[in-house]
Amino acid sequence: MSQLCEDQELLEGFLTETAELLEKVDDDLLLLEKSPSDMDILNRIFRSVHTVKGAASFLEFELLVKVTHKGEDVLNRLRKGELVVNNMIMDAILEAVDLVKLLVDDIRKGAIIERPIEGTIAKLEAILAENEPESETHEAEPVQTASEDSTPPSEPKSEEPPCEEIRIVAPEPQQAPPDPPQTVEKDVSSASQSSAGKDNSDKSTLRVDVKRVDDLMNQVGELVLERNRMSHLNSDCLGLTSNDSFTDEFGKLVKRISFITSELQMQVLKMRLVPVGNVFRKFPRIVRNLARDLGKQADLQIFGEDTELDRSVVDEIGDPLIHLVRNALDHALESAEERVAAGKPKVGCVTLSARHEGNNIIISIKDDGRGLDPDKISAKALERGIVTAEQLAVMGQKEIFDLIFLPGFSTKEKVSDLSGRGVGMDVVKTNVRKLNGIIEVKSELEKGSEFLLRLPLTLAIIQSLMVEIEGEIYSIPLSAVIETLRVKKDEFCSVGGREVLRLRNSALPLMRLQEKFGIVGNDPDREFLYVVVVGVAEKRLGLVVTRLLGQQEVAIKSLGNYLAEVPGIAGSTILGDGKVALIVDPAKLIDSGEEEIYRQASSF
Amino acid sequence: MSEQVSFNIKYNTFNQEDVMNTAVAIAGQEELKEERIQLVSFKIGNEEHGINVLKVREIIRMSNITRVPNTPDYIEGVINLRGKVIPIISLRKKFYLPEAENDSRTRIIVMDMDNELMGFIVDSVAEVIRIAISEIQPPPPIVTSGIDQECISGVINHADRLLVLLNLEKMFSSEERQSLADMIQ
Repeated sequence: MSQLCEDQELLEGFLTETAELLEKVDDDLLLLEKSPSDMDILNRIFRSVHTVKGAASFLEFELLVKVTHKGEDVLNRLRKGELVVNNMIMDAILEAVDLVKLLVDDIRKGAIIERPIEGTIAKLEAILAENEPESETHEAEPVQTASEDSTPPSEPKSEEPPCEEIRIVAPEPQQAPPDPPQTVEKDVSSASQSSAGKDNSDKSTLRVDVKRVDDLMNQVGELVLERNRMSHLNSDCLGLTSNDSFTDEFGKLVKRISFITSELQMQVLKMRLVPVGNVFRKFPRIVRNLARDLGKQADLQIFGEDTELDRSVVDEIGDPLIHLVRNALDHALESAEERVAAGKPKVGCVTLSARHEGNNIIISIKDDGRGLDPDKISAKALERGIVTAEQLAVMGQKEIFDLIFLPGFSTKEKVSDLSGRGVGMDVVKTNVRKLNGIIEVKSELEKGSEFLLRLPLTLAIIQSLMVEIEGEIYSIPLSAVIETLRVKKDEFCSVGGREVLRLRNSALPLMRLQEKFGIVGNDPDREFLYVVVVGVAEKRLGLVVTRLLGQQEVAIKSLGNYLAEVPGIAGSTILGDGKVALIVDPAKLIDSGEEEIYRQASSF
Repeated sequence: MSEQVSFNIKYNTFNQEDVMNTAVAIAGQEELKEERIQLVSFKIGNEEHGINVLKVREIIRMSNITRVPNTPDYIEGVINLRGKVIPIISLRKKFYLPEAENDSRTRIIVMDMDNELMGFIVDSVAEVIRIAISEIQPPPPIVTSGIDQECISGVINHADRLLVLLNLEKMFSSEERQSLADMIQ
C-alpha cells in the first residue's frame, strides 16, 4: 500500500471514529444536563474528547487539537469534582463541541479553514482560571496520555493479519478503537482512555458499505422475480409431461427454492434495518435549542427508539420530522404564562415515538399545546383561495385538518425564522409520500395535536393483489387494500354524478379503472364486477375491475425517468410469464378522485 | 470556408458531427475529413434513416408491449428487457406516418439515451454502414415527413439511397421529457 493510500485510510478512520464519538458526546451532554453531578457521564465525555484530541494530534490538525485540549481540561476538572456544572459551563462545552464538529466537517470536506476559535477558547480558559492550584498535576496527565494515544492510530499499520482481513471485507479499516484502549488500560491506572471502543464491541457488528447491501438487495429482488417465473413454469408443465416422478420431484424442488428465496429476502431486508433511534437521537438537542430560542419550556420524551426501519427510510424521514417538531414548538406550544393560565403544566411536552403495526412503522409526534383550530384553518384556506365556501361546507373536521398539507398554507401571521413560511407541511407530505407512506393528523383544541406517519417497512418488494381489467393485468399494493367485493352491475348507484356503492350504510365512491386507464373493453355488459376497496388513512375508494387474479409478491421496478409522472401508476413489475404489469398507485388515485369531487362540488 | 461550414453558421444547425466538421474545416486538415463513423440504417415507411451505432445497445425483435395508460400515442408502452422495464416508442407515430402492421422484419432498436434505455420500433433494420464524415450533407431546408427539423443532423447519399441522419437524443431531450411530463398531467 502506498503512503497516500494509508493516509487516506487513516483519515477515513479518523472521520468515522470521531463522528461516532461526537454523537455519543451529544447524547451524554444532554444526560449531563439532567444529572449534572453524575461522574460516570462526565468521565465518558472526558474520554471521548480525549480520544478525539489524541487522534487529531496524531494527524496534526492543529485547530482541533487546541479546542479539544481546552475542552478536555475543563472536563477533567469537572470529573474530578473541582468544578461543578452550571449553565455557563454547559454552554461553553456545547459551544466547544459544536466548534469541534465544524472543524471535523471542514476536514471531511478536504479544506481546512482557519476558523476563529479564540472566542470559545477564551470562554473555556475563563472557566479554568477559576480554580488554579490543580493545574500542575493535570498538565502532566495530558502529556502522558497524549503519547499513549499517539500509538493507537499507528497500530493499524503494524496490526496482525486478522485486522487486515477485516479491512478487505469491510472497507472500514479502523477496527483499531476496540484494541488500543484495552492494551493501554493495562499500562495506565488513570481512567483516561476512551471507552468508545468497548461500547462498540458490546454487540459484535461489522461495518459494510451501504452500496454493497443495496446491490445485494437488487440481486435478491431479481431472484424473487425469477422464482416467480419458475413457479409459473412449474404450474404450466404440471399438465404437460406424463413423467410423474419428475413433476413430483421438480415440484418439491420449486417449493424448497421458493421457501429459501423468501427467507433470503427476509434476511437481506433485515440487514438494511436500522433503529429509528438513529434519527431520534438528534432531537433532544434540537428541542433544547429551539425551546431556548423561542423562550418556551419544553420537554421531549422519546419512545420506541429500538424500532427498526429500512435505512433509506431513515435517511429521508429526518427532515419531515424536524419540521414537525419545529412546528410543535413554534406554533403549537404556548408560552409558559399562557399554559399556566390555561391550567396546564408550565413545561410543554413533546412526545416522539415509534412502533410497529403490521407491515408498517408508525412514527408519532405529539404535543400538548394549542391544538389545531378548524375555524382558523378554514378561514385561512378561504382567504388563500385554496377552497371555496361550498367546498368547506361539506368538509368534516378531518378534511379541514388536511388542508394544512396544501402548498401555500400557513396560519402563522409572523413568519419566523423557523417556520411559518407556508412551505413546510406540503413538503413534509410529499416526502412522506415518496416513502410510500401517509401522514395523518389528530387534534383537539386546547389539548394538543398528534401527527402520525405511517410508513411501510419494505420498499422494493411488496405483496400485491393482481387484477385483470378487460384483459390487461395490473397490480394493486396489498397494503392499501381493505377488502374486495363481487358486485352485480346494477348495485352501483349514482350520487351527484359520481358512481358509488352502498356499503354497510355508507356510500363508497367508485372509480372504474377501465375508464381511468383508457382500456378498450371486451364485454361492456358484464353482469358481475369486482370492486377492490383501497384505503389511505381514512379515505376510501372502490376500484372497479373485471376480475381478481390472486395475491403475489412482486419486486417493484421503476418505470424510469421518462415515464415517471404517469398518473395513477406507481411503477411496474415483471410477472412470472415475463410480461410487464403496471403497479397502481392507490394514494394518487384517491387524491385524483377527490379532485373530481371538489371540481364537481364547486360546479353546483 | 467550405459550404458545409457556411451552411452551418447560416442555419445554425450545429450538432456533434457538424461541430466536428466545422472544426475540421477550420483546422484545414484534409485527412480528418475522411474519418469514418458507423451508422445503423433502418427503414420507417419509405424513408431510410441512420443513427450513430455507438448509441445503439441492441436490436431485438418485437415482443409483448404492456400499454401504459394516459401517455401520448407515440409511446407504445413498456417491455421487459432481461429484467429491466424500458419504454417503447413508435417512430412511425412520432413522425406522423400512417400506421402499419408489424411484420417479421419489425424491430426494436434499444438506445442509450443519457443513461436511460429506450426502445424504438422501426419497420426494418438494414445494415451497419461506414461513412466518412465528409459524406454528411446538410439537410434540405424543407420539413421532411413531420420530423422536427432539429432532430435531423444531416443527410447522406449512400449507394444511391438517401439516408436521413437522426439525432434521437434531441427528440427525446430532457426538455422534451419535461413537456411530456406536463402533457401527461
